[in-house]
Amino acid sequence: MCLGIPGKLTEMYGSEGLQMGMVDFGGVRREVCLAYVADEVKTGDYVIVHVGFAISKVDEEEARRTFKLLEEISELDELEWMKEVAEKSLSGLESDRDPSRDASGTSDIPRPEGQS
Amino acid sequence: MTKAGGAPVQEPADGVSRIASAGLTCPVPAGEADRVLLGHGSGGKLSAALLRERFLPRFGNDVLEELGDAAVVNVPGDEIAVSTDSFVVSPLEFPGGNIGHLAVHGTVNDLAMMGAEPLYLTAGFILEEGLPLALLDRVLDAMKESAREAGVIVVTGDTKVVERGKADGMFINTTGIGQLDPDFRPGPTRARDGDAVIVSGPIGRHGVAIMAAREDLRFEVEVRSDTACLVPLVQALSAACGPAIRSLRDPTRGGVASALNEIAASSGVGIRLEEGSLPVPGPVRAACEMLGLDPLYVANEGILVAIVAQEEAMSALQALHSHPIGASAVRIGTVTAERPGLVLLRTGLGPSRVVDMLPGDQLPRIC
Amino acid sequence: MKYLSEYRDPVLARSLVDRILGTATRPRVLMEVCGGQTHTIVRQGLQELLKDAVDMIHGPGCPVCVTPLEQIDRALHLASRPEVIFTSFGDMLRVPGSDADLLQIRARGGEVRVVYSPLDALEIARAHPDREVVFFAVGFETTAPANAMSVWRARELGVTNFSVLVSHVTVPPAIRAILDAPDNRVEAFLAAGHVCTVMGWREYEPLADEYAVPIVVTGFEPVDILEGIYMAVRQLEEGRAEVENQYARSVRRSGNEPAQELVARVFQLVDRAWRGIGEIPSSGLGLREEFSQFDAEKKFDLGSIRTSEPEECMAGDVLRGRIKPFECPEFGAACTPERPLGAPMVSSEGACAAYYNYARFQPEEAGEPA
Repeated sequence: MCLGIPGKLTEMYGSEGLQMGMVDFGGVRREVCLAYVADEVKTGDYVIVHVGFAISKVDEEEARRTFKLLEEISELDELEWMKEVAEKSLSGLESDRDPSRDASGTSDIPRPEGQS
Repeated sequence: MTKAGGAPVQEPADGVSRIASAGLTCPVPAGEADRVLLGHGSGGKLSAALLRERFLPRFGNDVLEELGDAAVVNVPGDEIAVSTDSFVVSPLEFPGGNIGHLAVHGTVNDLAMMGAEPLYLTAGFILEEGLPLALLDRVLDAMKESAREAGVIVVTGDTKVVERGKADGMFINTTGIGQLDPDFRPGPTRARDGDAVIVSGPIGRHGVAIMAAREDLRFEVEVRSDTACLVPLVQALSAACGPAIRSLRDPTRGGVASALNEIAASSGVGIRLEEGSLPVPGPVRAACEMLGLDPLYVANEGILVAIVAQEEAMSALQALHSHPIGASAVRIGTVTAERPGLVLLRTGLGPSRVVDMLPGDQLPRIC
Repeated sequence: MKYLSEYRDPVLARSLVDRILGTATRPRVLMEVCGGQTHTIVRQGLQELLKDAVDMIHGPGCPVCVTPLEQIDRALHLASRPEVIFTSFGDMLRVPGSDADLLQIRARGGEVRVVYSPLDALEIARAHPDREVVFFAVGFETTAPANAMSVWRARELGVTNFSVLVSHVTVPPAIRAILDAPDNRVEAFLAAGHVCTVMGWREYEPLADEYAVPIVVTGFEPVDILEGIYMAVRQLEEGRAEVENQYARSVRRSGNEPAQELVARVFQLVDRAWRGIGEIPSSGLGLREEFSQFDAEKKFDLGSIRTSEPEECMAGDVLRGRIKPFECPEFGAACTPERPLGAPMVSSEGACAAYYNYARFQPEEAGEPA
């Protein structure tokens, strides 16, 4: 329920009879116990890791499928938003409320400059 | 040898040979020549040898070699800048450096944040009995190199030795003296509505490198401490923008968040940050995810936060970009008169959240 | 980071928010029972984006927060013993007991170490055969397989100086208790994605049927939570009451069976007290008799613990979703992360701490941060 992070399985090995592996979390590597997923994973797979244990293998097909659905929903909306954003930047207002603003709703966060 | 790594502390071998000599009360065990002994801190022959063989060759200068009870130095001007810091990092050595680098950079940088030119350092050492001398040498080498780079000399120092288990290997205190520039006096109270908030480089590297080097969390990451001398960056800023630099801060313990909270409180202003602008390197972000930490609170040792008058923000960024350690300087937010004392971060989704001071050390969040 | 960053995409998030706002015909009351989800909701300001369409009530989803005071006091007692190396997840260190917290015990000389994994605690035991290592086994069902493995391995490897202080709770009984409360306003639930990764969602089907509430198994990133909320709101609008799975990339209906098996071999269901809520029958896990040599409560004489809880602390009402943290009179006043009255203000996934750290927009007069 908490702090399960997805990472890529890069090595698998046994350690004193326990299946272990090395998992790469986008640049951080840690040894992880694979006892609960050993039958279904191979190196290159993604796993969800919680307190040093892989608790599931990421179903990449499922992830791809549902993500595509989401993207399709948002593509339909995007054209609308682009119009909206253009209109709002002309009038100097933004659509999201920022509690730090005063009642008049004027934005006090300029676009950052000097972005690399 | 230290407790920090969780390894058991080794007891010295028995059968210690004792030198019978009037006045010498400390036994000199044979075969212990490679470790710090209690005698090294007692002011007698061992102490003198340590000073002569290890400290003087590295820090040697006219003032130090006087070996007076106090150093006499010359500092022009009516006011001088003085800063002191103690360094207790564990482990002593970590990717990117060691406690010696921190001890010099930390104090030199604090002087530089006031716009002062660092001139002199003192160095006080509390060494733990049993510390390998080779490690001490590496630390002293780091200090020598860092001092040379920063253009400071170590003018006086002190060494004490405490019993095994009482000092986590070593503690270092450095006090720095710097010369102030009457025309360049950044300070925490000078931030104003509309000023730009700039950070000179990627955030979170030092803290993550330290945590990775601690055995109990057991993760590997290719992140090195960013420990560095910030004097050249400050000089570049001063030359380019001078008085437009309102405040400078090196965000060490407590990270960028704490530094900004302090400035906001001291200046009586609010600060608004843009989450998308924060320069967090991939591996730092990944390590923070894993441990449930927020990069804004992770310690840095080689970046500065600058509050710059809006009209000079571009110029300040260019000045930083011209130096290797400032190459990825970026604007991360703006000072505002609204809600003084509050630092807010606008997330990618739109709403803002408070970035507060932390009560204590960030603990790895697990569940 | 793959399978993480994509689920923070602001464009997708806004799209889902629009869908939710457009679908809800009246304000809907939902509850999440997972500290990680609470954290994301508050930290990312999702409630603000959802405006009045959805009221997210934060349920008792923080195992640290619901660990009974007696158990914290037992932990403090153990940590104070000179022969003990007390190991724990980081969150537990500042949770207040009756008179101190683990961090203060450490300051007084107790050896307290933070570990990331229970297996690391076991390794500490193996490295220090002359000391007694106790691990504070706190968590929901997500953490039970890891804690079970540490005990199992201890037995396999013949380690005798290792024991666990157990404070495990399970989610479905808590949901039932929420639904049974006479003043319950919750219409639908987000189920915790990693609890269900381990347990699957079979146990939630009877709840959905019996109480006619939609339950959506949901992940932790903003896009996951918004998608889960969208699915729940759609069910409500369409008059359905089913268990659906938003977090399909990690959760299957049967969950992780090898994990469930080991948990069942090492632990058994017991009645457990939830701090601030009271006892919920069969809502916790305790070590089975055959593993009692690894049970810190049996191994050490913990005496009788007399607890004392500040009366002003309204953790129970917060945990049950009766009030939002800022509705507690002590919020931000006598109770802050520096001086917490109760666990939800300390644990980084406690609702009070989340609100204090991220959403504490107080009127100018009421007190700015120090």
